[in-house]
Amino acid sequence: MRKRRASGADQEHTGIDLAPMLDFVTNLLIFFIITAVFVKEAGLEVNRPTSFEQPQDEDSKSIQIQILENGEIWVDNRAVDVRAVRANVERMSAVNPDSGVLILAQERAPTGTLVEVVDQVHLGGINNITFSTTQ
Amino acid sequence: MQSRRHTPETEDTGIDLAPMLDFTTNLLIFFIITTSFIKEAGITVFKPTAQTAFGRDSGNLLIAIRENGDIWMDRRRVDIRDVRPQMERLHIERPDDTVVIIADKESDAGVVAEVMDEVRLAGIQIMSIAADPAG
Repeated sequence: MRKRRASGADQEHTGIDLAPMLDFVTNLLIFFIITAVFVKEAGLEVNRPTSFEQPQDEDSKSIQIQILENGEIWVDNRAVDVRAVRANVERMSAVNPDSGVLILAQERAPTGTLVEVVDQVHLGGINNITFSTTQ
Repeated sequence: MQSRRHTPETEDTGIDLAPMLDFTTNLLIFFIITTSFIKEAGITVFKPTAQTAFGRDSGNLLIAIRENGDIWMDRRRVDIRDVRPQMERLHIERPDDTVVIIADKESDAGVVAEVMDEVRLAGIQIMSIAADPAG
């Protein structure tokens, strides 16, 4: 098949000129690169007790950690420092290796303390953490 | 100046732009697709730090909680009662989405718990609390 030429005079250019399309596509590309957001949030996973399963009683095997609204941390009816949470969790998980941790935070307890406690419990080797709030 | 030619043919004088156009279009499509997947919170808060924080690739619905209890999602401030319908809508659009709650260090744990409950009632089970990985 013979190619039809619009203006058959010049013999040099046979294909479509792609340069304008490339300009246009590159502009679009730059726009999308600039507006793109790459969010990669690191985080900690925490369970919430469902309405069916109430927070377990004290006689169950779970380790309870309380966080008061002033940021105090209570384990086993003792106020402890955040750095002592890990040691406490390690000791209690050695007694009951399959126990989980229940964190009872007061409504106005700071989230920073909560995350620190969750972090310490993770470091103590327990990943089954449940988070509940009290009045 | 005369341009040096190795081949005797005189038809093609310019660079062939077609491969570059292919490449650029591929990049363009990549950026168009990735931009639409992430729902940003719209504000920056002071996140707590944690040593055990890990990045999750698919965490793409971000909910921010300020220290005064304001909840931000999709670049707008929303009421706690609006979290659930919005999450339900987004969950229907893409069921694989996971939620990252970005809570300020000074925000109340009670608000975080409420938001987690609303998100879970909307049908999204996988969520995490954002924390900066400690150095």
